Amino acid sequence: MILTCIMQRVFRTNIPAIHNWFVTTGMAGMVLLTICTPAQGQATTISDFEGVWKIAKPSNSLEASTPVVLTAEGRKALAENKRLRSQHKYDDYDITISRCSSPGVPRLMLTPMRFRIWQRLGVVTFDFEWNRALRQIDMRGRPTEPLLAPQMTGQTTGRWEGDALVAETVDVSDRTLIDDIMPHSSDMRVTERIRLVDADTLEDRITIDDPIYYAKPWGGVVTYTRQPATPFFPEHVCLDRRDTAARAMRGK
Amino acid sequence: MTAYRKHSSRARMLALTAGILNLGAGVAVAQMAAPPPGGPPSGNAPAPPPPGRGPGAGLAPPPLPPLTEAQKILTALPPPMKAGLFPQPPVTADDPVSPADPRDFQGIWYHDQPLEVRIQKDMYGAEPPVTMAGANVIARRVRSAEAGKPFINASAKCLPPGPQWQRDLNFPFQIVQGKTWVAFIFEEYHGRWNISLDPKTTPLPGGTDFMGRSIGHWEGDTLVVESTGFKQALWLDVDGTPLSPNGRLVQRIRKVNLGDGKPFLEIITTIEDPQYYTHPWNIVRRFAWHPNLPVFKEYNCEEQVGDPSGVTDAGLVVETAD
Repeated sequence: MILTCIMQRVFRTNIPAIHNWFVTTGMAGMVLLTICTPAQGQATTISDFEGVWKIAKPSNSLEASTPVVLTAEGRKALAENKRLRSQHKYDDYDITISRCSSPGVPRLMLTPMRFRIWQRLGVVTFDFEWNRALRQIDMRGRPTEPLLAPQMTGQTTGRWEGDALVAETVDVSDRTLIDDIMPHSSDMRVTERIRLVDADTLEDRITIDDPIYYAKPWGGVVTYTRQPATPFFPEHVCLDRRDTAARAMRGK
Repeated sequence: MTAYRKHSSRARMLALTAGILNLGAGVAVAQMAAPPPGGPPSGNAPAPPPPGRGPGAGLAPPPLPPLTEAQKILTALPPPMKAGLFPQPPVTADDPVSPADPRDFQGIWYHDQPLEVRIQKDMYGAEPPVTMAGANVIARRVRSAEAGKPFINASAKCLPPGPQWQRDLNFPFQIVQGKTWVAFIFEEYHGRWNISLDPKTTPLPGGTDFMGRSIGHWEGDTLVVESTGFKQALWLDVDGTPLSPNGRLVQRIRKVNLGDGKPFLEIITTIEDPQYYTHPWNIVRRFAWHPNLPVFKEYNCEEQVGDPSGVTDAGLVVETAD
């Protein structure tokens, strides 16, 4: 009990401190940390997702594992996106392509580049190689207020259910897409169940709930493979590369 | 949570831009500092020696040297905007504590001193030791902004602004570290400051970065970080105090814990750049422990700056070459 409470105190500051403790005490390889929560009197399991990850099968689309049933408004929005794409009018529907704006949630989880996960201070931070983007999941269980202005990554809170992190994201700007084409309204709620399939495989079960555009919730499963540990990614500046590409296209 | 922290990234971007543009009305807490009273602009007069001690007894600071011709150019400039500081929620006893290890900087920190829009003094109160080239660059930038034509800089282009400007902003950042590396993750500009403590085992990525290449080592409990190899010239502050791509920043970082539950990071930065400064000079900043700000607000300046059809670069103009 004393040990677990000490661990709990340390954990609130620094999960790797616990991880390192396991390593230095010969308990390396343990991926599930169980701490005591005296207030509830029951064990809570917290998975250690920290590390560098990369999508296993890169795809521009969130490949649905359940049927996608659009509402009339959703069909209209999707048709418009397809029309704009056929005319290469990217800035009218996909400002990630045209401006390097954050892809937001859940599209960031489809990035073909690496990302790193930190679990610190009650927050799970996804530190993306692409344009040094961030998304965070607040696990502290504190009450939240709706954002005054929606964000590309919205506002995400999470909780543990068994060994899965269940994240709920709301307040996502409707200037983002679910993937490279699927639209959503500002009322979208994204639910993710993130868990370790094994020590080197991370799974994100994504569910889209947006009654304005979709008649029923739908989603897909994205998996990631653990990458060699490195604390640094190259400084990726999307705008820099976009401008370079634009100059090249102009022959300058 | 203050209303300020609820600003959208665009609003904060505009606020910063407004600062660059000297649009005082657009920045709630910015106000023009009163003009200098017309006396010698060489800093505060040295304090009188304490009773019983004559001049030169060792306790009074030495008199500041007379201004150079280059420094006189700086002192003749209009004063910079004076930035305010928005209060942050207080750290409570329920919040996580900073690790006891003085070499463990991990956690959330927040620059809790008002932003110096233009660095007018070194840490000893002396004028920056500008060369004539350095003075002319600062004067050109300040006067162009005064004339309503502020120059484009990395911030306006949504590019990483370099370690000094990045740290100076009053926004939280997180430090994570291992035995051979330290990483700063900033709320603003998607900022990352990567420091290798052992390039052999933990090399920095190849190429030149906007944030430069930073190598660190420990001197006691102080982390000494040398940053060089910048991809482009830096602005060290909003008004454009310069650092050439060949310049060097040496940061001495230590965690100070006075036992009052309010640890802070102290970062002394030595600025070395013979092109713009006659000798290395130092500035100091303080960063408060703020574990209660672990969730960052989104900063998505690309949405505005990347607009291919509208005004980019926040309406700033291209700077003329030296």
